[in-house]
Amino acid sequence: MDILTVKNLTKKFGKFTAVNNISFSLREGEILGLLGPNGAGKTTTIQMLLGVLTPTQGEVKYFNKSLQDNREEILEKVNFSSTYTQLPWLLTVEENLTYTSYLYKIKDRKQRVKKLIEAFRLKKLIKEQMKELSSGEVTRVNLAKAFINYPKVLLLDEPTASLDPETSDYIRKFLIKERNQFNFSIIWTSHNMAEVEEVCDRVVFINHGKIIADDTPEKLAKTIEVCHVVLNVPDGLKRTVEIC
Amino acid sequence: MSIRRILAMVIRHMYLWPKSFERLMGTLGWPFLELTIWGLTMSYLQSNLMNSVSLVTVFLGGLIFWQFVTRTEVETALNFLEEVWNKNLINIFASPLTKAEFLISTVISNLIKLSFTASMLTLVSWFFYQFNILKTFGFLIPFILINLFLTGWIVSFFVIGMVLRFGYKAQELAWAITLLVQPFSCVFYPLSALPTWAQNIAKFFPTSYVFEEMRRFLYEGSINKSNLLFAFLLNLTYLIISIWFFSMMFEKAREHGRLVKLN
Repeated sequence: MDILTVKNLTKKFGKFTAVNNISFSLREGEILGLLGPNGAGKTTTIQMLLGVLTPTQGEVKYFNKSLQDNREEILEKVNFSSTYTQLPWLLTVEENLTYTSYLYKIKDRKQRVKKLIEAFRLKKLIKEQMKELSSGEVTRVNLAKAFINYPKVLLLDEPTASLDPETSDYIRKFLIKERNQFNFSIIWTSHNMAEVEEVCDRVVFINHGKIIADDTPEKLAKTIEVCHVVLNVPDGLKRTVEIC
Repeated sequence: MSIRRILAMVIRHMYLWPKSFERLMGTLGWPFLELTIWGLTMSYLQSNLMNSVSLVTVFLGGLIFWQFVTRTEVETALNFLEEVWNKNLINIFASPLTKAEFLISTVISNLIKLSFTASMLTLVSWFFYQFNILKTFGFLIPFILINLFLTGWIVSFFVIGMVLRFGYKAQELAWAITLLVQPFSCVFYPLSALPTWAQNIAKFFPTSYVFEEMRRFLYEGSINKSNLLFAFLLNLTYLIISIWFFSMMFEKAREHGRLVKLN
Protein backbone atom coordinates (compact mmCIF):
# COMPACT_ATOMS: atom_id res chain seq x y z
CA MET A 1 0.00 0.00 0.00
CA ASP A 2 1.32 3.44 -0.94
CA ILE A 3 1.64 5.68 2.09
CA LEU A 4 3.00 8.64 0.17
CA THR A 5 2.35 9.59 -3.43
CA VAL A 6 4.20 12.34 -5.21
CA LYS A 7 2.75 13.38 -8.56
CA ASN A 8 4.36 15.73 -11.09
CA LEU A 9 6.13 17.69 -8.36
CA THR A 10 7.94 20.76 -9.66
CA LYS A 11 9.71 23.59 -7.89
CA LYS A 12 10.99 26.63 -9.74
CA PHE A 13 12.90 29.53 -8.22
CA GLY A 14 12.60 32.20 -10.89
CA LYS A 15 14.08 30.69 -14.02
CA PHE A 16 15.88 27.92 -12.14
CA THR A 17 14.08 24.60 -11.89
CA ALA A 18 15.21 22.80 -8.72
CA VAL A 19 12.78 19.90 -9.02
CA ASN A 20 11.40 19.04 -12.41
CA ASN A 21 8.14 17.12 -12.67
CA ILE A 22 9.01 14.17 -10.45
CA SER A 23 6.62 11.39 -9.47
CA PHE A 24 7.23 8.52 -7.09
CA SER A 25 5.57 6.68 -4.26
CA LEU A 26 6.54 5.27 -0.87
CA ARG A 27 5.09 2.01 0.35
CA GLU A 28 4.21 1.12 3.90
CA GLY A 29 7.31 -0.10 5.75
CA GLU A 30 9.59 0.74 2.85
CA ILE A 31 12.92 2.54 3.04
CA LEU A 32 13.24 4.60 -0.10
CA GLY A 33 16.57 6.14 -0.96
CA LEU A 34 16.65 9.50 -2.69
CA LEU A 35 20.05 9.38 -4.23
CA GLY A 36 21.84 12.10 -6.13
CA PRO A 37 24.76 14.50 -6.16
CA ASN A 38 24.79 17.84 -4.32
CA GLY A 39 22.27 20.25 -5.84
CA ALA A 40 20.25 17.46 -7.43
CA GLY A 41 17.02 18.58 -5.74
CA LYS A 42 16.87 16.08 -2.87
CA THR A 43 16.56 18.61 -0.04
CA THR A 44 14.08 20.73 -2.00
CA THR A 45 11.96 17.62 -2.49
CA ILE A 46 12.09 16.83 1.25
CA GLN A 47 11.09 20.41 2.08
CA MET A 48 8.06 20.13 -0.20
CA LEU A 49 7.17 16.78 1.39
CA LEU A 50 7.23 18.52 4.79
CA GLY A 51 4.99 21.34 3.62
CA VAL A 52 7.53 24.07 4.40
CA LEU A 53 8.06 24.82 0.73
CA THR A 54 5.14 25.28 -1.65
CA PRO A 55 5.50 23.37 -4.91
CA THR A 56 5.18 25.34 -8.13
CA GLN A 57 3.22 22.45 -9.50
CA GLY A 58 2.21 18.94 -8.54
CA GLU A 59 0.71 17.16 -5.60
CA VAL A 60 1.87 15.44 -2.42
CA LYS A 61 -0.47 12.90 -0.83
CA TYR A 62 0.07 11.04 2.42
CA PHE A 63 -2.29 8.24 3.41
CA ASN A 64 -4.29 9.14 0.28
CA LYS A 65 -4.92 12.67 1.58
CA SER A 66 -3.56 15.89 0.13
CA LEU A 67 -0.85 17.48 2.28
CA GLN A 68 -2.05 20.94 1.36
CA ASP A 69 -5.59 20.32 2.60
CA ASN A 70 -4.81 18.05 5.57
CA ARG A 71 -1.54 19.52 6.86
CA GLU A 72 -2.15 19.23 10.62
CA GLU A 73 -3.54 15.69 10.48
CA ILE A 74 -0.73 14.45 8.23
CA LEU A 75 2.16 16.13 10.04
CA GLU A 76 1.06 14.46 13.30
CA LYS A 77 2.31 11.23 11.67
CA VAL A 78 5.33 12.56 9.82
CA ASN A 79 8.69 13.78 11.09
CA PHE A 80 12.12 14.56 9.74
CA SER A 81 15.76 14.98 10.55
CA SER A 82 18.28 16.90 8.55
CA THR A 83 21.97 17.53 8.87
CA TYR A 84 21.28 21.04 7.62
CA THR A 85 18.88 22.15 10.34
CA GLN A 86 19.53 23.09 13.94
CA LEU A 87 17.64 23.04 17.19
CA PRO A 88 17.52 26.04 19.57
CA TRP A 89 21.10 26.21 20.77
CA LEU A 90 20.52 27.66 24.24
CA LEU A 91 18.08 24.90 25.15
CA THR A 92 19.38 21.65 26.59
CA VAL A 93 18.89 18.33 24.83
CA GLU A 94 16.15 17.41 27.28
CA GLU A 95 14.37 20.76 26.92
CA ASN A 96 14.43 20.50 23.14
CA LEU A 97 12.91 17.05 23.19
CA THR A 98 10.36 18.06 25.84
CA TYR A 99 9.03 21.13 24.06
CA THR A 100 8.98 19.24 20.74
CA SER A 101 6.94 16.47 22.36
CA TYR A 102 4.18 19.01 23.06
CA LEU A 103 3.91 19.77 19.35
CA TYR A 104 2.51 16.27 18.80
CA LYS A 105 -0.25 14.13 20.30
CA ILE A 106 1.75 11.83 22.55
CA LYS A 107 0.31 10.08 25.58
CA ASP A 108 3.46 9.00 27.40
CA ARG A 109 5.47 12.20 26.85
CA LYS A 110 8.05 11.76 29.62
CA GLN A 111 8.54 8.07 28.88
CA ARG A 112 8.96 8.79 25.19
CA VAL A 113 11.65 11.41 25.81
CA LYS A 114 13.41 9.05 28.24
CA LYS A 115 13.30 6.17 25.76
CA LEU A 116 14.71 8.26 22.93
CA ILE A 117 17.48 9.60 25.14
CA GLU A 118 18.53 6.00 25.80
CA ALA A 119 18.08 4.83 22.21
CA PHE A 120 20.23 7.60 20.78
CA ARG A 121 22.86 7.39 23.55
CA LEU A 122 22.13 10.89 24.82
CA LYS A 123 22.00 10.19 28.54
CA LYS A 124 25.23 12.01 29.32
CA LEU A 125 24.16 14.99 27.22
CA ILE A 126 20.64 15.69 28.47
CA LYS A 127 21.64 18.73 30.52
CA GLU A 128 23.98 20.08 27.85
CA GLN A 129 22.92 23.03 25.74
CA MET A 130 22.84 22.34 22.02
CA LYS A 131 25.65 24.84 21.41
CA GLU A 132 27.96 22.64 23.50
CA LEU A 133 27.45 19.55 21.34
CA SER A 134 29.57 18.26 18.47
CA SER A 135 27.95 18.02 15.04
CA GLY A 136 27.62 14.25 15.46
CA GLU A 137 25.84 14.71 18.78
CA VAL A 138 23.55 17.33 17.25
CA THR A 139 22.65 14.84 14.51
CA ARG A 140 21.75 12.23 17.15
CA VAL A 141 19.51 14.75 18.96
CA ASN A 142 17.90 15.65 15.62
CA LEU A 143 17.20 11.98 14.99
CA ALA A 144 15.76 11.56 18.48
CA LYS A 145 13.52 14.56 17.80
CA ALA A 146 12.39 12.91 14.55
CA PHE A 147 11.19 9.84 16.44
CA ILE A 148 9.29 11.76 19.12
CA ASN A 149 5.81 11.32 17.59
CA TYR A 150 6.06 7.63 16.58
CA PRO A 151 6.12 8.73 12.91
CA LYS A 152 4.53 6.64 10.20
CA VAL A 153 6.74 8.41 7.68
CA LEU A 154 10.23 9.58 8.48
CA LEU A 155 12.07 11.93 6.14
CA LEU A 156 15.81 11.81 6.70
CA ASP A 157 17.97 14.29 4.84
CA GLU A 158 21.52 12.89 4.82
CA PRO A 159 21.09 11.64 8.39
CA THR A 160 24.58 10.21 8.77
CA ALA A 161 26.50 12.98 6.99
CA SER A 162 28.24 14.31 10.09
CA LEU A 163 28.58 11.07 12.04
CA ASP A 164 31.70 9.02 12.58
CA PRO A 165 31.69 5.55 10.91
CA GLU A 166 30.88 3.71 14.13
CA THR A 167 27.91 5.95 15.02
CA SER A 168 26.72 5.92 11.38
CA ASP A 169 26.67 2.16 11.47
CA TYR A 170 24.82 2.17 14.81
CA ILE A 171 22.22 4.65 13.49
CA ARG A 172 21.71 2.65 10.26
CA LYS A 173 21.17 -0.57 12.22
CA PHE A 174 18.94 1.21 14.73
CA LEU A 175 16.74 2.64 11.96
CA ILE A 176 16.42 -0.71 10.19
CA LYS A 177 15.57 -2.44 13.48
CA GLU A 178 12.95 0.19 14.34
CA ARG A 179 11.47 -0.04 10.86
CA ASN A 180 11.26 -3.83 11.11
CA GLN A 181 9.57 -3.56 14.50
CA PHE A 182 7.13 -0.68 13.86
CA ASN A 183 6.74 -0.93 10.07
CA PHE A 184 7.04 2.80 9.40
CA SER A 185 8.33 4.16 6.09
CA ILE A 186 11.48 6.16 5.51
CA ILE A 187 12.75 8.43 2.78
CA TRP A 188 16.51 8.60 3.08
CA THR A 189 18.42 11.13 1.03
CA SER A 190 22.08 10.53 0.44
CA HIS A 191 24.81 10.87 -2.11
CA ASN A 192 26.47 7.74 -0.79
CA MET A 193 25.52 4.71 -2.91
CA ALA A 194 27.10 2.25 -0.48
CA GLU A 195 24.94 3.53 2.37
CA VAL A 196 21.81 3.53 0.26
CA GLU A 197 22.54 0.00 -0.89
CA GLU A 198 22.88 -1.15 2.71
CA VAL A 199 19.75 0.51 4.03
CA CYS A 200 17.21 1.06 1.26
CA ASP A 201 14.69 -1.29 -0.29
CA ARG A 202 14.34 0.92 -3.34
CA VAL A 203 16.23 3.87 -4.76
CA VAL A 204 15.09 6.89 -6.72
CA PHE A 205 18.07 8.45 -8.46
CA ILE A 206 17.66 12.17 -8.96
CA ASN A 207 19.87 14.55 -10.93
CA HIS A 208 19.29 18.16 -12.03
CA GLY A 209 15.84 17.91 -10.44
CA LYS A 210 14.76 14.95 -12.57
CA ILE A 211 14.30 11.30 -11.72
CA ILE A 212 16.62 9.28 -13.88
CA ALA A 213 16.11 5.88 -12.27
CA ASP A 214 13.73 4.18 -9.83
CA ASP A 215 14.62 0.65 -8.85
CA THR A 216 16.11 -1.63 -6.22
CA PRO A 217 19.70 -0.78 -5.28
CA GLU A 218 20.99 -3.98 -6.90
CA LYS A 219 19.25 -3.43 -10.24
CA LEU A 220 20.12 0.25 -10.19
CA ALA A 221 23.80 -0.50 -9.72
CA LYS A 222 23.68 -2.69 -12.84
CA THR A 223 21.86 -0.15 -15.01
CA ILE A 224 23.95 2.93 -14.25
CA GLU A 225 26.28 3.41 -17.17
CA VAL A 226 29.05 5.22 -15.40
CA CYS A 227 30.20 4.42 -11.95
CA HIS A 228 32.95 5.83 -9.84
CA VAL A 229 35.24 3.34 -8.18
CA VAL A 230 37.47 4.50 -5.40
CA LEU A 231 40.78 2.67 -5.37
CA ASN A 232 42.95 2.74 -2.31
CA VAL A 233 46.41 2.04 -3.64
CA PRO A 234 49.34 0.93 -1.44
CA ASP A 235 50.97 4.38 -1.41
CA GLY A 236 47.97 5.57 0.60
CA LEU A 237 46.61 7.97 -2.00
CA LYS A 238 42.96 7.82 -2.92
CA ARG A 239 42.41 7.67 -6.67
CA THR A 240 39.19 7.65 -8.59
CA VAL A 241 38.88 5.69 -11.79
CA GLU A 242 35.88 6.03 -14.01
CA ILE A 243 34.77 2.87 -15.73
CA CYS A 244 32.03 2.35 -18.25
CA MET B 1 -6.37 25.10 17.04
CA SER B 2 -4.48 23.09 19.65
CA ILE B 3 -3.78 24.43 23.15
CA ARG B 4 -1.11 21.73 23.56
CA ARG B 5 0.87 22.98 20.56
CA ILE B 6 0.54 26.57 21.76
CA LEU B 7 1.83 25.36 25.14
CA ALA B 8 4.77 23.69 23.37
CA MET B 9 5.95 26.99 21.97
CA VAL B 10 5.35 28.81 25.26
CA ILE B 11 7.48 26.19 27.04
CA ARG B 12 10.18 26.60 24.38
CA HIS B 13 10.45 30.33 25.10
CA MET B 14 10.17 29.94 28.86
CA TYR B 15 13.14 27.53 28.72
CA LEU B 16 15.15 30.13 26.83
CA TRP B 17 14.18 33.23 28.79
CA PRO B 18 16.21 32.81 31.99
CA LYS B 19 19.23 31.60 30.00
CA SER B 20 19.50 34.50 27.62
CA PHE B 21 21.10 37.60 29.12
CA GLU B 22 19.81 39.72 26.24
CA ARG B 23 16.24 38.58 26.82
CA LEU B 24 16.44 39.15 30.58
CA MET B 25 17.85 42.60 29.96
CA GLY B 26 15.01 43.27 27.56
CA THR B 27 12.37 42.22 30.06
CA LEU B 28 13.84 43.77 33.20
CA GLY B 29 17.15 45.55 32.57
CA TRP B 30 16.31 48.15 29.91
CA PRO B 31 12.90 49.12 31.32
CA PHE B 32 14.56 49.52 34.74
CA LEU B 33 17.32 51.72 33.33
CA GLU B 34 14.90 53.85 31.37
CA LEU B 35 12.71 54.35 34.39
CA THR B 36 15.74 55.24 36.51
CA ILE B 37 17.18 57.76 34.06
CA TRP B 38 13.92 59.52 33.25
CA GLY B 39 12.60 59.24 36.78
CA LEU B 40 15.63 61.02 38.16
CA THR B 41 15.47 63.66 35.47
CA MET B 42 11.83 64.33 36.22
CA SER B 43 12.43 64.40 39.97
CA TYR B 44 15.04 67.07 39.42
CA LEU B 45 12.73 69.09 37.16
CA GLN B 46 9.86 68.73 39.59
CA SER B 47 11.90 70.08 42.45
CA ASN B 48 12.57 73.16 40.35
CA LEU B 49 8.98 73.71 39.24
CA MET B 50 5.74 74.70 40.89
CA ASN B 51 4.24 71.81 42.84
CA SER B 52 0.83 72.31 41.25
CA VAL B 53 2.08 70.62 38.08
CA SER B 54 2.27 66.85 38.61
CA LEU B 55 4.96 66.53 35.98
CA VAL B 56 6.50 63.42 37.48
CA THR B 57 3.16 61.64 37.58
CA VAL B 58 2.38 62.53 33.99
CA PHE B 59 5.81 61.63 32.79
CA LEU B 60 6.21 58.41 34.76
CA GLY B 61 2.70 57.32 33.81
CA GLY B 62 3.58 57.87 30.15
CA LEU B 63 6.96 56.23 30.54
CA ILE B 64 5.64 53.12 32.24
CA PHE B 65 2.71 52.68 29.89
CA TRP B 66 4.92 53.24 26.85
CA GLN B 67 7.14 50.41 28.06
CA PHE B 68 4.16 48.10 27.55
CA VAL B 69 4.01 49.01 23.86
CA THR B 70 7.78 48.72 23.39
CA ARG B 71 8.26 45.50 25.34
CA THR B 72 5.18 43.88 23.78
CA GLU B 73 6.42 44.67 20.30
CA VAL B 74 10.09 43.82 20.83
CA GLU B 75 9.48 40.61 22.80
CA THR B 76 6.90 39.29 20.34
CA ALA B 77 9.12 40.05 17.35
CA LEU B 78 12.11 38.53 19.14
CA ASN B 79 10.23 35.29 19.75
CA PHE B 80 10.05 34.97 15.99
CA LEU B 81 13.61 36.19 15.39
CA GLU B 82 14.88 33.59 17.88
CA GLU B 83 13.48 30.91 15.57
CA VAL B 84 15.14 32.57 12.59
CA TRP B 85 18.53 32.88 14.32
CA ASN B 86 18.32 29.29 15.55
CA LYS B 87 17.31 28.04 12.08
CA ASN B 88 14.37 26.48 13.89
CA LEU B 89 11.53 27.65 11.65
CA ILE B 90 11.67 24.43 9.63
CA ASN B 91 11.46 22.32 12.79
CA ILE B 92 8.38 24.03 14.15
CA PHE B 93 6.55 24.48 10.86
CA ALA B 94 7.25 20.92 9.72
CA SER B 95 5.19 19.95 12.78
CA PRO B 96 1.40 20.34 12.93
CA LEU B 97 1.80 23.82 14.48
CA THR B 98 -0.30 26.37 12.60
CA LYS B 99 0.40 30.04 11.93
CA ALA B 100 -2.37 31.07 14.31
CA GLU B 101 -1.03 28.81 17.07
CA PHE B 102 2.42 30.25 16.56
CA LEU B 103 1.14 33.83 16.89
CA ILE B 104 -0.91 32.98 19.98
CA SER B 105 2.07 31.27 21.60
CA THR B 106 4.25 34.35 21.06
CA VAL B 107 1.52 36.53 22.59
CA ILE B 108 1.21 34.26 25.66
CA SER B 109 5.00 34.08 26.14
CA ASN B 110 5.04 37.85 25.84
CA LEU B 111 2.30 38.29 28.46
CA ILE B 112 4.15 36.06 30.94
CA LYS B 113 7.33 38.11 30.56
CA LEU B 114 5.44 41.41 30.65
CA SER B 115 3.90 40.49 33.98
CA PHE B 116 7.46 40.51 35.37
CA THR B 117 8.27 43.80 33.62
CA ALA B 118 5.07 45.37 34.99
CA SER B 119 5.73 44.17 38.54
CA MET B 120 9.29 45.48 38.45
CA LEU B 121 8.27 48.89 37.05
CA THR B 122 5.45 49.24 39.59
CA LEU B 123 7.74 48.41 42.51
CA VAL B 124 10.65 50.57 41.35
CA SER B 125 8.50 53.63 40.60
CA TRP B 126 6.79 53.27 43.99
CA PHE B 127 10.03 52.69 45.89
CA PHE B 128 12.17 55.37 44.24
CA TYR B 129 9.64 58.04 43.24
CA GLN B 130 6.69 57.30 45.54
CA PHE B 131 4.61 56.90 42.41
CA ASN B 132 1.93 54.25 42.89
CA ILE B 133 0.65 53.53 39.40
CA LEU B 134 -2.06 51.17 40.65
CA LYS B 135 -3.49 53.81 42.99
CA THR B 136 -3.05 56.63 40.50
CA PHE B 137 -4.84 55.04 37.56
CA GLY B 138 -6.97 52.39 39.33
CA PHE B 139 -9.85 51.11 37.17
CA LEU B 140 -8.40 52.77 34.07
CA ILE B 141 -5.41 50.42 33.91
CA PRO B 142 -7.09 47.47 32.12
CA PHE B 143 -8.57 49.80 29.47
CA ILE B 144 -5.20 51.41 28.87
CA LEU B 145 -3.27 48.14 28.86
CA ILE B 146 -5.50 46.24 26.44
CA ASN B 147 -5.06 49.03 23.91
CA LEU B 148 -1.30 49.23 24.42
CA PHE B 149 -0.87 45.44 24.18
CA LEU B 150 -2.87 45.38 20.97
CA THR B 151 -0.73 48.13 19.46
CA GLY B 152 2.45 46.24 20.45
CA TRP B 153 1.22 43.01 18.86
CA ILE B 154 0.04 44.77 15.71
CA VAL B 155 3.45 46.39 15.20
CA SER B 156 5.28 43.13 15.94
CA PHE B 157 3.16 41.10 13.50
CA PHE B 158 3.99 43.73 10.89
CA VAL B 159 7.72 43.43 11.73
CA ILE B 160 7.58 39.62 11.53
CA GLY B 161 5.90 39.92 8.12
CA MET B 162 8.63 42.30 6.97
CA VAL B 163 11.37 39.90 8.16
CA LEU B 164 9.67 37.06 6.29
CA ARG B 165 9.60 39.21 3.19
CA PHE B 166 13.00 40.93 3.35
CA GLY B 167 15.05 38.60 5.56
CA TYR B 168 17.73 39.66 8.05
CA LYS B 169 17.97 43.19 6.73
CA ALA B 170 14.51 43.91 8.14
CA GLN B 171 15.26 42.60 11.63
CA GLU B 172 16.45 46.02 12.85
CA LEU B 173 12.81 47.09 12.63
CA ALA B 174 12.12 44.99 15.73
CA TRP B 175 13.98 47.55 17.84
CA ALA B 176 13.53 50.68 15.78
CA ILE B 177 9.90 50.69 14.75
CA THR B 178 8.47 51.86 18.09
CA LEU B 179 10.69 54.94 17.81
CA LEU B 180 8.75 55.80 14.68
CA VAL B 181 5.42 55.20 16.41
CA GLN B 182 6.29 57.11 19.58
CA PRO B 183 6.23 60.72 18.31
CA PHE B 184 2.68 60.26 16.98
CA SER B 185 1.56 58.50 20.14
CA CYS B 186 1.85 61.70 22.20
CA VAL B 187 3.29 59.80 25.15
CA PHE B 188 4.88 62.75 26.95
CA TYR B 189 3.06 65.73 25.45
CA PRO B 190 -0.51 66.51 24.42
CA LEU B 191 -1.78 66.06 20.88
CA SER B 192 -2.10 69.85 20.60
CA ALA B 193 1.68 70.16 21.01
CA LEU B 194 2.18 68.57 17.59
CA PRO B 195 2.10 70.59 14.36
CA THR B 196 -1.19 70.27 12.49
CA TRP B 197 0.09 67.85 9.86
CA ALA B 198 1.44 65.56 12.61
CA GLN B 199 -1.82 65.84 14.56
CA ASN B 200 -3.66 64.55 11.49
CA ILE B 201 -1.33 61.54 11.35
CA ALA B 202 -1.52 60.97 15.11
CA LYS B 203 -5.29 60.58 14.86
CA PHE B 204 -4.66 57.27 13.08
CA PHE B 205 -2.58 56.00 16.02
CA PRO B 206 -4.69 54.34 18.76
CA THR B 207 -1.97 55.12 21.30
CA SER B 208 -2.49 58.89 20.88
CA TYR B 209 -6.05 58.53 22.25
CA VAL B 210 -4.85 56.32 25.11
CA PHE B 211 -2.19 58.80 26.29
CA GLU B 212 -4.53 61.75 25.86
CA GLU B 213 -7.04 60.02 28.13
CA MET B 214 -4.30 59.13 30.60
CA ARG B 215 -3.43 62.82 30.93
CA ARG B 216 -7.08 63.89 31.06
CA PHE B 217 -7.58 61.46 33.93
CA LEU B 218 -4.60 62.88 35.81
CA TYR B 219 -5.53 66.53 35.28
CA GLU B 220 -9.33 66.37 35.34
CA GLY B 221 -10.07 63.09 37.14
CA SER B 222 -12.35 61.95 34.30
CA ILE B 223 -12.05 60.23 30.93
CA ASN B 224 -13.76 60.34 27.58
CA LYS B 225 -14.88 56.71 27.19
CA SER B 226 -15.64 57.09 23.51
CA ASN B 227 -11.99 57.97 22.84
CA LEU B 228 -10.80 54.74 24.46
CA LEU B 229 -13.46 52.78 22.61
CA PHE B 230 -12.41 54.38 19.34
CA ALA B 231 -8.77 53.49 20.08
CA PHE B 232 -9.87 49.89 20.73
CA LEU B 233 -11.81 49.69 17.46
CA LEU B 234 -8.88 51.21 15.59
CA ASN B 235 -6.62 48.60 17.19
CA LEU B 236 -8.97 45.77 16.21
CA THR B 237 -9.00 46.98 12.62
CA TYR B 238 -5.20 47.18 12.51
CA LEU B 239 -4.92 43.79 14.23
CA ILE B 240 -6.94 42.14 11.47
CA ILE B 241 -4.79 43.87 8.84
CA SER B 242 -1.52 42.91 10.60
CA ILE B 243 -2.55 39.24 10.90
CA TRP B 244 -3.52 39.23 7.25
CA PHE B 245 -0.18 40.82 6.36
CA PHE B 246 1.74 38.25 8.45
CA SER B 247 -0.22 35.41 6.88
CA MET B 248 0.39 36.68 3.36
CA MET B 249 4.14 37.16 3.97
CA PHE B 250 4.33 33.72 5.58
CA GLU B 251 2.81 32.08 2.51
CA LYS B 252 5.13 34.09 0.25
CA ALA B 253 8.07 32.90 2.37
CA ARG B 254 6.85 29.31 2.06
CA GLU B 255 6.61 29.74 -1.70
CA HIS B 256 10.05 31.34 -2.14
CA GLY B 257 11.86 29.04 0.28
CA ARG B 258 12.54 31.72 2.89
CA LEU B 259 10.86 29.65 5.59
CA VAL B 260 13.67 27.12 5.34
CA LYS B 261 16.45 29.52 4.43
CA LEU B 262 15.95 33.06 5.59
CA ASN B 263 18.88 35.33 5.00
